[in-house]
Amino acid sequence: MSGHSRRVAVGLVAAGLALSGLPALGLPAFYESFLFLVFFWVSLATSWSFLSGYAGYFSFGHGAFFGAGVYTTATLTAGFAVPFLASLPAAGAVSALLAVGIGAVVFRLRRLRGELFGLLTLAITFVLATIVLNTRIDGGPGVYLSAVPLPRLVASPTGTMYLLGLALALLSVTIAYAVTCSRLGLGLFAIHDDEDVAEVKGVPTFRYKLAAFALSAAVAGVAGGIYAIYVSYVTVGETFAITVPLYVVLMSILGGARHWLGPAVGAAIITASLYAFTGGNTAVLGRAVVALALILVILLLPDGVVVAVLARARAWRRRDAAPLTVPSPEAPPIATSHALRAAPVVASLDSGTAREGARAAAVLVCEDVWRAFGGIRALRGVGLSLGGGEIVGLVGPNGSGKTTLINVISGHYSADRGRIALDGAPLAGRPAHAIARLGVARTYQIPRPFGHLSALDNVALAATFGTEPCALVEARAEARTWLDFTGLGRRAMALPGELNLHERKFLELARALAARPRVILLDEVLSGLNSAEMGSAIDLIQEIRGRGTSILFVEHVMRAVLELSDRIVVLNEGEVIAAGRPDEVMRDPRVVEVYLGKTHAA
Amino acid sequence: MPSLTLLGQSVVSGLLAGGLYALLALGLSLSWGLLRLVNLGHFALAFLGAYLTYQLGTVGGLAPWTAVLLILPLFFALGVGLHAVFTWFRVSEFTSLLVTFGVTVIIESLIQWYWTADFRRYETPYASLSFRLGPLYVPALELLACLTAAALALGTWAWLRFTYVGKALRASAEDPAIAAAFGVNHRAQSFLLSGVAAAYAAVAGGYIALISTLAPSQMWAWLGVVFAVVIIGGLANPIGALFAGLLIGVSESVTMAVVAPAWAPLVSFSILIGLLVLRPGRA
Amino acid sequence: MLLEVRHLAIAYGDAIAVWDATLDVGDGEVVAVIGPNGAGKSTLINAVAGLLRWRAGELRLDGLDLATVPPHLICGHGIALVPEGRRLFTHMSVEENLEIGGYRGLARRTRLQTLERVYGMFPILRERRRQLAGALSGGQQQMVALGRALMAKPRLLLLDEPSLGLAPAVVEQMFETIRAIHDEGVAILLVEQNVARALEIADRAYVLEEGRVVAGGPPSALLLEARIRQAYLGIR
Repeated sequence: MSGHSRRVAVGLVAAGLALSGLPALGLPAFYESFLFLVFFWVSLATSWSFLSGYAGYFSFGHGAFFGAGVYTTATLTAGFAVPFLASLPAAGAVSALLAVGIGAVVFRLRRLRGELFGLLTLAITFVLATIVLNTRIDGGPGVYLSAVPLPRLVASPTGTMYLLGLALALLSVTIAYAVTCSRLGLGLFAIHDDEDVAEVKGVPTFRYKLAAFALSAAVAGVAGGIYAIYVSYVTVGETFAITVPLYVVLMSILGGARHWLGPAVGAAIITASLYAFTGGNTAVLGRAVVALALILVILLLPDGVVVAVLARARAWRRRDAAPLTVPSPEAPPIATSHALRAAPVVASLDSGTAREGARAAAVLVCEDVWRAFGGIRALRGVGLSLGGGEIVGLVGPNGSGKTTLINVISGHYSADRGRIALDGAPLAGRPAHAIARLGVARTYQIPRPFGHLSALDNVALAATFGTEPCALVEARAEARTWLDFTGLGRRAMALPGELNLHERKFLELARALAARPRVILLDEVLSGLNSAEMGSAIDLIQEIRGRGTSILFVEHVMRAVLELSDRIVVLNEGEVIAAGRPDEVMRDPRVVEVYLGKTHAA
Repeated sequence: MPSLTLLGQSVVSGLLAGGLYALLALGLSLSWGLLRLVNLGHFALAFLGAYLTYQLGTVGGLAPWTAVLLILPLFFALGVGLHAVFTWFRVSEFTSLLVTFGVTVIIESLIQWYWTADFRRYETPYASLSFRLGPLYVPALELLACLTAAALALGTWAWLRFTYVGKALRASAEDPAIAAAFGVNHRAQSFLLSGVAAAYAAVAGGYIALISTLAPSQMWAWLGVVFAVVIIGGLANPIGALFAGLLIGVSESVTMAVVAPAWAPLVSFSILIGLLVLRPGRA
Repeated sequence: MLLEVRHLAIAYGDAIAVWDATLDVGDGEVVAVIGPNGAGKSTLINAVAGLLRWRAGELRLDGLDLATVPPHLICGHGIALVPEGRRLFTHMSVEENLEIGGYRGLARRTRLQTLERVYGMFPILRERRRQLAGALSGGQQQMVALGRALMAKPRLLLLDEPSLGLAPAVVEQMFETIRAIHDEGVAILLVEQNVARALEIADRAYVLEEGRVVAGGPPSALLLEARIRQAYLGIR
């Protein structure tokens, strides 16, 4: 266990022990009741954040899972005389099943993210409420649980409830901490920032979302079961009111939905504040104030109190760190910098990477790949092969299909027709994360790092979900070596937003490399860089090839393409019109015509 | 199996109820479709309008139409104000959902604080007025609401379709940058649209006061139905909203007559869920 | 000089797309900016149209500093854009698209006449005036985009990669139309990947490479320039 984990574990155990001693103090029951409420909201808010905070899928339906738990316990204890404690796992299970059922359908649909997911979950809550109201589960008059025997953990009933609440709260927070430190947590955070990229980097997004949703629902269900006994009379109106969905959202956002302790802090603050508004008309106004707080927090402190405080502390500690590097806008005239590179160009042309036929076992093979969007055929029977340790440049005018090809190979889109194979294994039809596992990595023309993860975690994620899955600890160690390789060693803890373009491009590269791929697909990695930066990028790419990785890269900066490529493939309007050695291909009349028109080709 | 008369009556009631749904959905459909902002506060505004109409009517003695005319400019200003907040904080589509969620609760709480949670009924002489269509009863107020909805829907459609401002709004919604390149001032138009949508809420609120019983928690009951209408009808499609409203009104009403009254709310939510899951593209 | 661009620098965040661009467009001239993909051509023309703000340098239209003009008012000064990829309002009809072109000020008063002239230039659009713009073929969409810009009665017409995605025969036709527009006295700033076409029609041309203007002059001079080969193909 790492030092931090040890400290957290000790802290939680100590808090748990201390708090469980409260009933023994013989204080008025009020304190136990009040703290029970705090623990109750801590559990609900923390569980809500498993999916909604970490992965960003804001659910307005936490009330549905809560209600499912309430009525499961109510039905089992009052209707079937099941012992109360035994009904709690059932409550959790029912809610979890409900979540899995919903998630199995909804998470497969790309367009149901963001506000539509929120609406859908809200609608499901109302549907569930109506069903419960109109069937024998409740039927209208509500369910009385006053006759249900309460287990006697301590002498007083309030004390027992207190301990149950404490146990659930501790459990929720422990789960939250464990998740945030695990691969699951890292995957969820990546999904939050950019789900498509997370999928392409190997995160099994569907499975992870489902797991988080089920876990979140299970805890909410158990909380519901405990709540049922606490109030001892449940009605649909109270259970499925807007209170639960509203409050969990507010508490998590106030405290910080991405932090394991955030919702708990938010829950404590809000419950304590609301206490000031109990009774009569002020309770109503209290709700208004709570809602106002929600609005202010969303607008002004989008990451929550806990994160804001931690960020302040971190910034204060890093006051003396080295200043950020700024790219110099000055660049030498094109002619001279081209001349500087002249020697290496000649050398690599001669040292003879061959015609396609002579390539030893091709690592990546595309045969007759077709892809259309609506009526536009972006790829029309594209074929190419990439050998081990080879660098192939993919060029062509705008709209010729280069990026589409990259997207198809990496699994972002599927091919309509044709065969793509990596080391003989077919890639077509596999989800993107499986393709990443097999050994295909890509970079994006406009870097798409995970904005809330440090550079280190961006790379560690690729390492842990890449071709050789490993534990997070090892992944982070490996990430450091890749960051050093790309020259970002000192920027490991920086957020992507704090890096300049050059650094972000290299972060993309490090992230792609950390997956230990067989093939790297580079999409215009040089665009936007000045001459000096371009030089170091070119050197880096050659080093990568030197380590045995095959590279397919799309580029417009022609001098770089000629310098780096062993072979060039030219695309035009979705078809390959030429392929071969750089100097031959770029003098091929068809290629010249495509770029410069007929008059030049002569 | 209910009699033909009962079925007929439920269809009529459904159509009329649907008209009111459509009236409420119009403003939301416009603002969501053209501004790309989800304004949950629309419901709260409508109910605020309803309560104000009620208050001005019972305490101030004003006729409902006068009351609505009086509050229209106020609501226009509220709409503009809300949009100003959105613009100032550069709120995204999703964040607008959260923020207006909060606004809804605030307005609901204020309503409850001032008017209490008691049910209130705005009694007017018109309430009992109704026409006879053969064996069927057609309540006058509901009919008026339905006709207003149709008129507003058609008027809005015509405004969007034929006027320069309408076309500019549609162009801006699709590609604000290029629309600006041809002189369309997206910012100014968004404020206008926000105000107009809020004004629609005021009109809907007036009818809600006349037709339904008022209670603060009621606004959440309309939420599901109206969102269903907006999405089924298509964003920024006034005629679509009208027909979707009528459709849902009739389905609910017939369900109530044929199955059981308690299951009626399920209809709209189920259609909404089904649509969200099965529909190939958004709006 | 109608348009003066002096040492313009444009960036997206910290990704600098144009480092230093200097060029002129005179009244009634056709000026082409050619260069390979990624050189910054579209970025440059978008800045002139008001879609982007620039970091450094000056942009003047007839002496007026465009930095002081908000984006939606630039059209009113006589600049109209035919964007890359057309960017029509696909959910609106052909006629509505054209009408949006004539939205601003002076153009609005004479728009019915201008609309007639546009239909005269592109008769097929009159036939399809009520169809949704998204349903037209690529070449027809390009006509709508051109017509939309003409509706604004511009003094300076900006064309961003007009031949992109169009069949050669259509490209031919389109350049004929551009020539006709030029004959009416409209100045044109044309950005094109297709070197041959661009140099055929231009009075003067500039070569943009990696965000800088590296050459400029009459087409005949540039055609022979090894610079172009180098910029596009990388080889000498």
